[in-house]
Amino acid sequence: MTEDRLIELIEAWGADPSAFPEAERAAARAMLAAQPARFAAAIAEARALDAALARMPEILPSAALTEALIASAPKARPAAGGLRLPKFAPWAPASGFAALAAGLFMGVMVAPAASASSDTSEVESVIEHALGYDPAAFTEELGE
Amino acid sequence: MAFTSDLDQITRAAAGDPAAVRALVNRYSPGILSLATRMLADRAEAEDVTQETFLRAWKALPGWEPRAKFSTWLHRVALNLCYDRLRKRKESLPGELPDLADTRLAPHEALDQSQRVSAIEGAIGALPERQSAALTLCALQGHSQAEAAEILEISVEAVESLLARARRTLRAQLLEGRTSS
Repeated sequence: MTEDRLIELIEAWGADPSAFPEAERAAARAMLAAQPARFAAAIAEARALDAALARMPEILPSAALTEALIASAPKARPAAGGLRLPKFAPWAPASGFAALAAGLFMGVMVAPAASASSDTSEVESVIEHALGYDPAAFTEELGE
Repeated sequence: MAFTSDLDQITRAAAGDPAAVRALVNRYSPGILSLATRMLADRAEAEDVTQETFLRAWKALPGWEPRAKFSTWLHRVALNLCYDRLRKRKESLPGELPDLADTRLAPHEALDQSQRVSAIEGAIGALPERQSAALTLCALQGHSQAEAAEILEISVEAVESLLARARRTLRAQLLEGRTSS
């Protein structure tokens, strides 16, 4: 450790030798202890700046910023186990189309049979059966 | 040990554990915000940088490999975002000098405590960006020399050089303020 090097350390890292690079700390302490007057001015200047920096107010995030940071984080994935359907099932529209196609197919199959007979009660009967509705049971319930 | 605890919290945060997310935010957001505020001298911009830094962190968490400390990585991301913004500021003012406000107080102004603090804040803000970063990391945030060097992606010797120049400028301004009061 030279005097010039010790001055450099004080100017860069401040008055407290514990802030100096570890490899040079012990030698710097020894030189400071041996010649305190030689480095008094440099130490005093550095100490004044250290004190001024220590008085700098702490900068803390607001509650709003903290919550925004938390809200931007990844969300918990659902626990493993059990069948969980996604909120949007990509096959849902396809199942709608399938139901529509089945409905049209049934309509095509039933309509000619219904129109072949001019008897509307027969058409009604087909529809009632398709809906699972039993008119006989219904009339029984009414006590007819 | 902070490093192990970081890793555990990173793993849990990546899986969306709200407590781990909150812990990471509480631990690191003050340092990131403080660094960005000192660098940019603008609270709103510093908050934007903090949010962007954490967004990048959340994206990086699932594949996180502990090659560097999480803290070091976060500070480096924040610092690079600050450099980008400072560069854009300079680009948006073609032909003009960089914003180096004269933070010295006029002779008739007495330096009371708050004036002294704001004078130093102004002086740090007016330092060249790498000096400001080195001073903030080492003198204000207490990072070790090795951590500061890693964040700044330079050697410890280069950190020392930046610090020495930064402190010399601040000392001169402090001294000037004191003699004029």
